[in-house]
Amino acid sequence: MIELRELTKRYGDRVAVDGLSVRVQPGVVTGFLGPNGSGKSTTMRMILGLDAPDHGQALIGGVRYPDLSWPLKTVGALLDAGAFHPGRSARAHLAALAASNDIPGPRVEQVLRIVGLSDAATRRAGTYSLGMRQRLGVAVALLGDPGVLLLDEPVNGLDPEGIRWIRDLLRGLAAEGRTVFVSSHLIAEMALTADRLVVIGRGRLLVETTVAELAAGDDSLEDAFFRLTSQATDYRGVGAS
Amino acid sequence: MNGYGFRHAARMERIKLRSVRSTWWLAIAAVVSMAAAGAGVGLGYRSHTPVATAAQILNNSLGGAIVAQLLLGALGVLVVTGEYGTGMIRSTFAAVPRRRIVLAAKVAVCGGAALTVGLVASFAGYLSGQLAIRGTAIPAASLGDPAILRAVVLTGVYLGATALIGVGIGTIVRHSGAAIGTLFGLMFVPMIAAGLFGESGIAVGRFVPLLMLLNSIAVTSPIPGLFAGWISVLLMCGYAAVAILCGGVLLRYRDS
Repeated sequence: MIELRELTKRYGDRVAVDGLSVRVQPGVVTGFLGPNGSGKSTTMRMILGLDAPDHGQALIGGVRYPDLSWPLKTVGALLDAGAFHPGRSARAHLAALAASNDIPGPRVEQVLRIVGLSDAATRRAGTYSLGMRQRLGVAVALLGDPGVLLLDEPVNGLDPEGIRWIRDLLRGLAAEGRTVFVSSHLIAEMALTADRLVVIGRGRLLVETTVAELAAGDDSLEDAFFRLTSQATDYRGVGAS
Repeated sequence: MNGYGFRHAARMERIKLRSVRSTWWLAIAAVVSMAAAGAGVGLGYRSHTPVATAAQILNNSLGGAIVAQLLLGALGVLVVTGEYGTGMIRSTFAAVPRRRIVLAAKVAVCGGAALTVGLVASFAGYLSGQLAIRGTAIPAASLGDPAILRAVVLTGVYLGATALIGVGIGTIVRHSGAAIGTLFGLMFVPMIAAGLFGESGIAVGRFVPLLMLLNSIAVTSPIPGLFAGWISVLLMCGYAAVAILCGGVLLRYRDS
Protein backbone atom coordinates (compact mmCIF):
# COMPACT_ATOMS: atom_id res chain seq x y z
CA MET A 1 0.00 0.00 0.00
CA ILE A 2 1.11 3.55 -0.73
CA GLU A 3 0.12 6.25 1.69
CA LEU A 4 0.61 9.95 1.04
CA ARG A 5 0.19 12.23 4.04
CA GLU A 6 -0.23 15.95 3.30
CA LEU A 7 2.54 15.67 0.74
CA THR A 8 3.70 19.14 -0.31
CA LYS A 9 6.38 20.36 -2.69
CA ARG A 10 7.25 23.92 -3.64
CA TYR A 11 9.59 25.11 -6.35
CA GLY A 12 10.31 28.70 -5.41
CA ASP A 13 6.89 30.26 -4.81
CA ARG A 14 5.11 27.81 -7.13
CA VAL A 15 3.37 24.99 -5.29
CA ALA A 16 3.70 21.80 -7.34
CA VAL A 17 2.01 19.45 -4.88
CA ASP A 18 -0.22 20.89 -2.21
CA GLY A 19 -1.16 18.88 0.89
CA LEU A 20 -1.91 15.69 -1.03
CA SER A 21 -3.27 12.85 1.14
CA VAL A 22 -4.13 9.62 -0.65
CA ARG A 23 -4.09 5.90 0.12
CA VAL A 24 -3.43 3.59 -2.80
CA GLN A 25 -4.75 0.10 -2.10
CA PRO A 26 -3.36 -3.24 -3.24
CA GLY A 27 -5.24 -5.58 -5.56
CA VAL A 28 -6.53 -2.93 -7.94
CA VAL A 29 -5.07 -0.64 -10.57
CA THR A 30 -5.27 2.94 -9.35
CA GLY A 31 -5.14 5.60 -12.03
CA PHE A 32 -3.49 8.91 -11.19
CA LEU A 33 -5.07 11.52 -13.40
CA GLY A 34 -4.53 15.19 -13.92
CA PRO A 35 -3.77 17.75 -16.61
CA ASN A 36 -0.19 18.50 -17.67
CA GLY A 37 1.70 20.20 -14.86
CA SER A 38 -0.74 19.10 -12.16
CA GLY A 39 1.98 17.51 -10.02
CA LYS A 40 1.71 13.83 -10.96
CA SER A 41 5.38 13.32 -11.77
CA THR A 42 6.53 15.37 -8.79
CA THR A 43 4.37 13.18 -6.55
CA MET A 44 5.87 10.04 -8.08
CA ARG A 45 9.40 11.39 -7.56
CA MET A 46 8.65 12.18 -3.93
CA ILE A 47 7.32 8.65 -3.35
CA LEU A 48 10.67 7.36 -4.67
CA GLY A 49 12.71 9.70 -2.50
CA LEU A 50 14.18 11.48 -5.55
CA ASP A 51 12.66 14.81 -4.54
CA ALA A 52 12.37 15.75 -0.88
CA PRO A 53 8.89 16.93 0.20
CA ASP A 54 8.69 20.33 1.89
CA HIS A 55 5.99 18.96 4.14
CA GLY A 56 4.26 15.66 4.79
CA GLN A 57 5.50 12.23 3.80
CA ALA A 58 5.05 9.35 1.41
CA LEU A 59 5.07 5.85 2.90
CA ILE A 60 5.22 2.44 1.27
CA GLY A 61 3.83 -0.21 3.59
CA GLY A 62 4.45 2.28 6.41
CA VAL A 63 8.11 2.88 5.48
CA ARG A 64 9.75 5.89 3.81
CA TYR A 65 11.36 4.91 0.52
CA PRO A 66 14.94 5.73 1.61
CA ASP A 67 14.53 3.40 4.59
CA LEU A 68 13.61 0.35 2.50
CA SER A 69 16.05 -2.56 2.81
CA TRP A 70 15.66 -3.69 -0.80
CA PRO A 71 14.01 -0.85 -2.74
CA LEU A 72 13.73 -2.66 -6.08
CA LYS A 73 12.23 -5.75 -4.46
CA THR A 74 9.61 -3.58 -2.76
CA VAL A 75 8.75 -0.91 -5.33
CA GLY A 76 9.12 -1.08 -9.09
CA ALA A 77 9.05 2.25 -10.86
CA LEU A 78 8.84 3.51 -14.42
CA LEU A 79 9.49 7.23 -14.08
CA ASP A 80 10.27 8.20 -17.61
CA ALA A 81 11.39 6.37 -20.69
CA GLY A 82 14.85 7.90 -20.56
CA ALA A 83 16.19 6.86 -17.19
CA PHE A 84 19.11 4.94 -18.68
CA HIS A 85 22.50 5.67 -20.24
CA PRO A 86 22.06 5.58 -24.04
CA GLY A 87 25.45 3.98 -24.55
CA ARG A 88 24.68 0.98 -22.39
CA SER A 89 22.86 -2.14 -23.58
CA ALA A 90 19.51 -3.04 -22.06
CA ARG A 91 21.04 -6.18 -20.61
CA ALA A 92 23.91 -4.33 -18.90
CA HIS A 93 21.48 -1.67 -17.63
CA LEU A 94 19.29 -4.31 -16.02
CA ALA A 95 22.28 -6.32 -14.75
CA ALA A 96 23.70 -3.25 -12.99
CA LEU A 97 20.41 -2.46 -11.28
CA ALA A 98 19.89 -6.12 -10.38
CA ALA A 99 23.33 -6.23 -8.73
CA SER A 100 22.48 -3.23 -6.56
CA ASN A 101 19.60 -5.10 -4.91
CA ASP A 102 21.09 -8.60 -4.97
CA ILE A 103 18.61 -9.78 -7.60
CA PRO A 104 19.84 -13.02 -9.25
CA GLY A 105 21.16 -12.76 -12.81
CA PRO A 106 18.58 -15.05 -14.50
CA ARG A 107 15.86 -12.56 -13.52
CA VAL A 108 17.37 -10.12 -16.05
CA GLU A 109 16.72 -12.56 -18.91
CA GLN A 110 13.26 -13.25 -17.52
CA VAL A 111 12.15 -9.58 -17.53
CA LEU A 112 13.71 -9.08 -20.96
CA ARG A 113 11.47 -11.91 -22.19
CA ILE A 114 8.39 -10.51 -20.41
CA VAL A 115 8.75 -7.12 -22.11
CA GLY A 116 9.81 -8.63 -25.44
CA LEU A 117 13.31 -7.15 -25.64
CA SER A 118 15.33 -10.39 -25.57
CA ASP A 119 16.41 -10.04 -29.19
CA ALA A 120 17.45 -6.41 -28.74
CA ALA A 121 19.11 -6.88 -25.35
CA THR A 122 22.67 -6.35 -26.58
CA ARG A 123 21.85 -3.21 -28.53
CA ARG A 124 22.72 0.13 -27.03
CA ALA A 125 19.56 1.49 -25.44
CA GLY A 126 20.07 4.85 -27.14
CA THR A 127 19.17 3.21 -30.46
CA TYR A 128 15.75 2.12 -29.17
CA SER A 129 12.45 3.54 -30.35
CA LEU A 130 10.27 5.29 -27.77
CA GLY A 131 8.14 2.17 -27.45
CA MET A 132 11.20 0.01 -26.78
CA ARG A 133 12.42 2.51 -24.19
CA GLN A 134 9.10 2.24 -22.40
CA ARG A 135 9.44 -1.54 -22.45
CA LEU A 136 12.94 -1.28 -20.97
CA GLY A 137 11.49 0.96 -18.25
CA VAL A 138 8.80 -1.63 -17.54
CA ALA A 139 11.50 -4.32 -17.37
CA VAL A 140 13.31 -2.27 -14.70
CA ALA A 141 10.06 -1.90 -12.75
CA LEU A 142 9.46 -5.66 -12.83
CA LEU A 143 13.08 -6.58 -12.08
CA GLY A 144 12.71 -7.09 -8.33
CA ASP A 145 9.27 -8.72 -8.56
CA PRO A 146 7.95 -5.93 -6.31
CA GLY A 147 4.62 -5.74 -4.51
CA VAL A 148 4.18 -2.08 -5.40
CA LEU A 149 4.40 -0.67 -8.93
CA LEU A 150 4.58 3.01 -9.83
CA LEU A 151 4.34 3.91 -13.48
CA ASP A 152 4.45 7.45 -14.79
CA GLU A 153 2.73 7.68 -18.19
CA PRO A 154 3.63 4.13 -19.26
CA VAL A 155 1.64 4.17 -22.50
CA ASN A 156 3.48 7.20 -23.93
CA GLY A 157 4.96 6.23 -27.25
CA LEU A 158 3.50 2.73 -27.34
CA ASP A 159 1.64 1.46 -30.39
CA PRO A 160 -1.90 0.05 -30.00
CA GLU A 161 -0.54 -3.46 -29.50
CA GLY A 162 1.86 -2.15 -26.83
CA ILE A 163 -0.92 -0.23 -25.11
CA ARG A 164 -3.03 -3.34 -24.87
CA TRP A 165 -0.02 -5.31 -23.65
CA ILE A 166 0.66 -2.87 -20.83
CA ARG A 167 -3.01 -2.75 -19.91
CA ASP A 168 -3.18 -6.53 -19.57
CA LEU A 169 0.14 -6.60 -17.72
CA LEU A 170 -0.97 -4.03 -15.15
CA ARG A 171 -4.35 -5.66 -14.58
CA GLY A 172 -2.63 -9.03 -14.17
CA LEU A 173 -0.18 -7.59 -11.62
CA ALA A 174 -3.03 -6.05 -9.63
CA ALA A 175 -4.97 -9.31 -9.75
CA GLU A 176 -1.98 -10.97 -8.06
CA GLY A 177 -2.59 -8.63 -5.12
CA ARG A 178 -0.01 -5.98 -5.95
CA THR A 179 -0.45 -2.24 -5.55
CA VAL A 180 -0.41 -0.64 -9.01
CA PHE A 181 -0.34 3.16 -9.28
CA VAL A 182 -0.35 4.50 -12.84
CA SER A 183 -0.33 8.15 -13.85
CA SER A 184 -1.79 9.38 -17.09
CA HIS A 185 -3.44 12.39 -18.62
CA LEU A 186 -5.45 10.14 -20.93
CA ILE A 187 -8.81 9.58 -19.32
CA ALA A 188 -9.97 7.16 -22.01
CA GLU A 189 -6.96 4.93 -21.47
CA MET A 190 -7.36 5.04 -17.70
CA ALA A 191 -11.03 4.07 -18.03
CA LEU A 192 -9.91 0.81 -19.63
CA THR A 193 -6.99 0.07 -17.32
CA ALA A 194 -7.82 1.39 -13.86
CA ASP A 195 -10.41 0.45 -11.27
CA ARG A 196 -9.90 3.37 -8.93
CA LEU A 197 -9.03 6.93 -9.89
CA VAL A 198 -7.18 9.67 -8.03
CA VAL A 199 -7.67 12.97 -9.84
CA ILE A 200 -5.49 15.98 -9.05
CA GLY A 201 -5.22 19.49 -10.41
CA ARG A 202 -2.66 22.15 -9.49
CA GLY A 203 -1.19 19.76 -6.96
CA ARG A 204 -4.43 19.34 -5.01
CA LEU A 205 -6.61 16.29 -4.69
CA LEU A 206 -9.80 16.89 -6.66
CA VAL A 207 -11.51 13.57 -6.19
CA GLU A 208 -10.93 9.93 -5.30
CA THR A 209 -13.41 7.76 -7.12
CA THR A 210 -13.87 4.63 -9.16
CA VAL A 211 -14.16 4.43 -12.90
CA ALA A 212 -17.66 2.98 -12.43
CA GLU A 213 -18.81 5.96 -10.34
CA LEU A 214 -17.39 8.49 -12.75
CA ALA A 215 -19.01 6.73 -15.69
CA ALA A 216 -22.37 6.61 -13.93
CA GLY A 217 -22.93 10.38 -14.38
CA ASP A 218 -24.85 11.91 -17.27
CA ASP A 219 -21.87 13.01 -19.32
CA SER A 220 -19.08 11.04 -20.94
CA LEU A 221 -15.94 10.16 -18.97
CA GLU A 222 -14.07 12.83 -20.86
CA ASP A 223 -16.62 15.49 -20.00
CA ALA A 224 -16.61 14.36 -16.38
CA PHE A 225 -12.82 14.72 -16.33
CA PHE A 226 -12.98 18.23 -17.82
CA ARG A 227 -15.66 19.21 -15.32
CA LEU A 228 -13.41 18.04 -12.48
CA THR A 229 -10.30 19.76 -13.73
CA SER A 230 -11.79 22.89 -15.31
CA GLN A 231 -10.79 25.09 -12.38
CA ALA A 232 -7.38 23.53 -12.07
CA THR A 233 -5.72 23.68 -15.48
CA ASP A 234 -2.64 25.84 -15.87
CA TYR A 235 -2.30 25.92 -19.63
CA ARG A 236 -5.22 26.05 -22.02
CA GLY A 237 -5.33 26.83 -25.70
CA VAL A 238 -8.17 28.55 -27.55
CA GLY A 239 -9.64 27.93 -30.99
CA ALA A 240 -7.38 28.93 -33.84
CA SER A 241 -9.96 30.85 -35.85
CA MET B 1 20.56 -10.42 4.57
CA ASN B 2 19.77 -7.07 6.04
CA GLY B 3 19.36 -4.85 3.03
CA TYR B 4 21.71 -3.48 0.42
CA GLY B 5 25.06 -1.98 1.25
CA PHE B 6 28.29 -0.71 -0.21
CA ARG B 7 29.14 -4.13 -1.67
CA HIS B 8 25.98 -4.18 -3.79
CA ALA B 9 26.41 -0.62 -4.95
CA ALA B 10 30.02 -1.35 -5.89
CA ARG B 11 28.93 -4.31 -8.01
CA MET B 12 26.41 -2.08 -9.75
CA GLU B 13 29.03 0.59 -10.40
CA ARG B 14 31.50 -1.94 -11.78
CA ILE B 15 28.97 -3.20 -14.31
CA LYS B 16 28.06 0.38 -15.23
CA LEU B 17 31.68 1.44 -15.69
CA ARG B 18 32.54 -1.53 -17.90
CA SER B 19 29.42 -1.31 -20.05
CA VAL B 20 29.90 2.09 -21.68
CA ARG B 21 32.34 2.62 -24.50
CA SER B 22 33.64 5.97 -23.26
CA THR B 23 35.36 4.19 -20.35
CA TRP B 24 37.38 2.02 -22.70
CA TRP B 25 38.19 4.80 -25.15
CA LEU B 26 39.41 7.13 -22.41
CA ALA B 27 41.49 4.37 -20.79
CA ILE B 28 43.06 3.34 -24.08
CA ALA B 29 43.70 6.95 -25.05
CA ALA B 30 45.40 7.61 -21.69
CA VAL B 31 47.77 4.67 -22.15
CA VAL B 32 48.44 5.47 -25.81
CA SER B 33 49.12 9.15 -25.13
CA MET B 34 51.71 8.32 -22.50
CA ALA B 35 53.30 5.61 -24.63
CA ALA B 36 53.45 7.99 -27.61
CA ALA B 37 54.96 10.80 -25.55
CA GLY B 38 57.56 8.39 -24.15
CA ALA B 39 58.51 7.10 -27.58
CA GLY B 40 58.61 10.62 -29.02
CA VAL B 41 60.94 11.84 -26.29
CA GLY B 42 63.22 8.82 -26.66
CA LEU B 43 63.44 9.19 -30.43
CA GLY B 44 64.05 12.93 -30.12
CA TYR B 45 66.97 12.45 -27.78
CA ARG B 46 68.65 9.71 -29.85
CA SER B 47 70.81 12.08 -31.86
CA HIS B 48 70.88 14.82 -29.24
CA THR B 49 74.20 16.30 -28.14
CA PRO B 50 75.33 16.31 -25.46
CA VAL B 51 74.18 12.78 -24.70
CA ALA B 52 71.05 12.83 -22.51
CA THR B 53 71.10 11.55 -18.96
CA ALA B 54 68.90 8.73 -17.69
CA ALA B 55 66.99 11.27 -15.56
CA GLN B 56 66.34 13.54 -18.55
CA ILE B 57 64.85 10.68 -20.52
CA LEU B 58 62.70 9.49 -17.65
CA ASN B 59 61.42 12.94 -16.67
CA ASN B 60 60.47 13.80 -20.20
CA SER B 61 59.08 10.41 -21.17
CA LEU B 62 56.49 10.69 -18.41
CA GLY B 63 55.32 14.01 -19.91
CA GLY B 64 52.35 12.31 -21.59
CA ALA B 65 50.75 12.43 -18.15
CA ILE B 66 49.71 16.01 -18.98
CA VAL B 67 47.27 14.56 -21.52
CA ALA B 68 46.51 11.37 -19.61
CA GLN B 69 45.40 13.34 -16.53
CA LEU B 70 42.80 15.16 -18.61
CA LEU B 71 41.51 11.91 -20.09
CA LEU B 72 41.28 10.12 -16.75
CA GLY B 73 39.89 13.25 -15.10
CA ALA B 74 37.18 13.28 -17.75
CA LEU B 75 36.56 9.59 -17.02
CA GLY B 76 35.96 10.43 -13.36
CA VAL B 77 33.65 13.31 -14.27
CA LEU B 78 31.61 11.19 -16.69
CA VAL B 79 31.07 8.44 -14.12
CA VAL B 80 28.83 10.95 -12.35
CA THR B 81 27.66 13.49 -14.93
CA GLY B 82 26.99 10.77 -17.51
CA GLU B 83 24.16 9.74 -15.19
CA TYR B 84 22.78 13.22 -14.60
CA GLY B 85 22.88 14.07 -18.28
CA THR B 86 20.91 10.99 -19.33
CA GLY B 87 18.40 10.48 -16.51
CA MET B 88 20.20 7.31 -15.42
CA ILE B 89 20.75 8.95 -12.04
CA ARG B 90 17.06 8.49 -11.19
CA SER B 91 17.30 4.74 -11.85
CA THR B 92 20.43 4.62 -9.72
CA PHE B 93 18.97 6.51 -6.77
CA ALA B 94 15.71 4.57 -6.97
CA ALA B 95 17.77 1.37 -6.66
CA VAL B 96 20.08 2.73 -3.96
CA PRO B 97 18.32 5.64 -2.24
CA ARG B 98 21.13 6.14 0.28
CA ARG B 99 23.05 8.34 -2.10
CA ARG B 100 26.33 8.49 -0.25
CA ILE B 101 26.64 4.74 -0.70
CA VAL B 102 26.41 5.36 -4.44
CA LEU B 103 29.09 8.05 -4.24
CA ALA B 104 31.36 5.83 -2.13
CA ALA B 105 30.92 2.98 -4.63
CA LYS B 106 31.73 5.30 -7.54
CA VAL B 107 34.85 6.53 -5.75
CA ALA B 108 36.02 2.98 -5.04
CA VAL B 109 35.26 1.54 -8.47
CA CYS B 110 36.35 4.50 -10.59
CA GLY B 111 39.33 5.20 -8.34
CA GLY B 112 40.48 1.60 -8.57
CA ALA B 113 40.06 1.49 -12.33
CA ALA B 114 41.77 4.85 -12.87
CA LEU B 115 44.66 3.87 -10.59
CA THR B 116 45.16 0.68 -12.60
CA VAL B 117 44.99 2.49 -15.92
CA GLY B 118 47.21 5.27 -14.56
CA LEU B 119 49.90 2.81 -13.50
CA VAL B 120 49.72 0.98 -16.83
CA ALA B 121 49.94 4.29 -18.69
CA SER B 122 52.86 5.46 -16.60
CA PHE B 123 54.79 2.23 -17.15
CA ALA B 124 53.95 2.45 -20.84
CA GLY B 125 55.45 5.95 -20.96
CA TYR B 126 58.59 4.78 -19.19
CA LEU B 127 58.95 1.63 -21.29
CA SER B 128 58.47 3.24 -24.67
CA GLY B 129 60.95 5.94 -23.70
CA GLN B 130 63.49 3.27 -22.83
CA LEU B 131 62.80 1.24 -25.96
CA ALA B 132 63.25 4.31 -28.14
CA ILE B 133 66.77 4.98 -26.85
CA ARG B 134 68.04 1.42 -27.22
CA GLY B 135 71.29 1.12 -29.05
CA THR B 136 72.41 4.68 -28.22
CA ALA B 137 74.94 5.97 -25.73
CA ILE B 138 72.14 7.23 -23.47
CA PRO B 139 72.21 5.28 -20.20
CA ALA B 140 69.15 3.15 -19.51
CA ALA B 141 66.99 3.98 -16.48
CA SER B 142 66.36 0.84 -14.47
CA LEU B 143 63.25 0.28 -12.42
CA GLY B 144 65.64 -1.25 -9.90
CA ASP B 145 66.67 2.33 -9.13
CA PRO B 146 64.31 3.52 -6.36
CA ALA B 147 64.21 7.07 -7.72
CA ILE B 148 63.08 5.81 -11.14
CA LEU B 149 60.52 3.36 -9.78
CA ARG B 150 59.13 6.00 -7.44
CA ALA B 151 58.61 8.51 -10.24
CA VAL B 152 56.82 5.95 -12.43
CA VAL B 153 54.56 4.65 -9.64
CA LEU B 154 53.73 8.08 -8.23
CA THR B 155 52.78 9.30 -11.70
CA GLY B 156 50.28 6.43 -11.90
CA VAL B 157 48.87 7.31 -8.49
CA TYR B 158 48.64 10.98 -9.49
CA LEU B 159 46.54 9.96 -12.49
CA GLY B 160 44.24 7.90 -10.27
CA ALA B 161 43.82 10.87 -7.92
CA THR B 162 42.97 13.11 -10.88
CA ALA B 163 40.08 10.81 -11.79
CA LEU B 164 38.79 11.08 -8.21
CA ILE B 165 38.97 14.88 -8.36
CA GLY B 166 36.84 14.44 -11.49
CA VAL B 167 34.30 12.33 -9.57
CA GLY B 168 34.10 15.04 -6.89
CA ILE B 169 33.71 17.91 -9.36
CA GLY B 170 31.18 15.89 -11.34
CA THR B 171 29.10 15.36 -8.21
CA ILE B 172 29.20 19.07 -7.39
CA VAL B 173 28.59 20.45 -10.89
CA ARG B 174 26.45 17.58 -12.36
CA HIS B 175 26.77 18.80 -15.97
CA SER B 176 29.36 17.04 -18.16
CA GLY B 177 30.60 20.06 -20.11
CA ALA B 178 30.69 22.39 -17.14
CA ALA B 179 32.38 19.80 -14.92
CA ILE B 180 35.07 18.92 -17.48
CA GLY B 181 35.64 22.62 -18.11
CA THR B 182 35.98 23.22 -14.37
CA LEU B 183 38.42 20.34 -14.03
CA PHE B 184 40.60 21.52 -16.93
CA GLY B 185 40.49 25.06 -15.58
CA LEU B 186 41.63 23.89 -12.16
CA MET B 187 44.49 22.00 -13.79
CA PHE B 188 45.85 24.83 -15.93
CA VAL B 189 44.79 28.22 -14.54
CA PRO B 190 46.62 27.93 -11.19
CA MET B 191 49.82 27.05 -13.05
CA ILE B 192 49.58 30.14 -15.21
CA ALA B 193 48.72 32.21 -12.15
CA ALA B 194 51.71 30.85 -10.23
CA GLY B 195 53.91 31.73 -13.19
CA LEU B 196 52.95 35.40 -12.87
CA PHE B 197 54.70 35.61 -9.50
CA GLY B 198 58.03 34.67 -11.03
CA GLU B 199 60.58 33.31 -8.57
CA SER B 200 58.33 33.67 -5.52
CA GLY B 201 55.60 31.78 -7.38
CA ILE B 202 57.13 28.53 -6.23
CA ALA B 203 55.71 29.02 -2.73
CA VAL B 204 52.28 28.75 -4.32
CA GLY B 205 53.34 26.58 -7.24
CA ARG B 206 54.20 23.61 -5.08
CA PHE B 207 50.49 23.26 -4.35
CA VAL B 208 49.47 23.39 -8.02
CA PRO B 209 48.65 19.99 -9.58
CA LEU B 210 50.37 20.35 -12.94
CA LEU B 211 53.51 21.90 -11.44
CA MET B 212 53.64 19.11 -8.89
CA LEU B 213 53.34 16.56 -11.67
CA LEU B 214 56.08 18.02 -13.85
CA ASN B 215 58.53 19.06 -11.15
CA SER B 216 58.00 16.80 -8.19
CA ILE B 217 56.08 13.63 -9.05
CA ALA B 218 57.12 12.51 -12.53
CA VAL B 219 60.82 13.32 -12.01
CA THR B 220 63.72 11.48 -10.43
CA SER B 221 64.45 14.34 -8.03
CA PRO B 222 62.07 17.25 -7.33
CA ILE B 223 63.06 20.79 -8.20
CA PRO B 224 64.19 22.67 -5.06
CA GLY B 225 61.28 24.41 -3.34
CA LEU B 226 58.74 21.75 -4.29
CA PHE B 227 57.53 18.99 -2.02
CA ALA B 228 58.84 15.45 -2.25
CA GLY B 229 56.93 13.37 -4.79
CA TRP B 230 54.93 11.38 -2.29
CA ILE B 231 53.82 14.53 -0.44
CA SER B 232 52.65 16.02 -3.74
CA VAL B 233 50.66 12.86 -4.44
CA LEU B 234 49.13 12.97 -0.97
CA LEU B 235 48.14 16.60 -1.65
CA MET B 236 46.38 15.45 -4.82
CA CYS B 237 44.52 12.79 -2.84
CA GLY B 238 43.61 15.50 -0.33
CA TYR B 239 42.16 17.68 -3.13
CA ALA B 240 40.17 14.67 -4.31
CA ALA B 241 38.87 14.02 -0.78
CA VAL B 242 37.75 17.65 -0.40
CA ALA B 243 35.95 17.62 -3.76
CA ILE B 244 34.24 14.30 -2.97
CA LEU B 245 33.19 15.42 0.51
CA CYS B 246 31.69 18.64 -0.89
CA GLY B 247 29.85 16.56 -3.48
CA GLY B 248 28.63 14.19 -0.77
CA VAL B 249 27.19 17.05 1.29
CA LEU B 250 25.40 18.56 -1.72
CA LEU B 251 24.12 15.15 -2.81
CA ARG B 252 22.11 14.85 0.35
CA TYR B 253 20.16 18.07 -0.04
CA ARG B 254 19.52 18.20 -3.75
CA ASP B 255 16.55 16.82 -5.63
CA SER B 256 17.44 14.64 -8.54
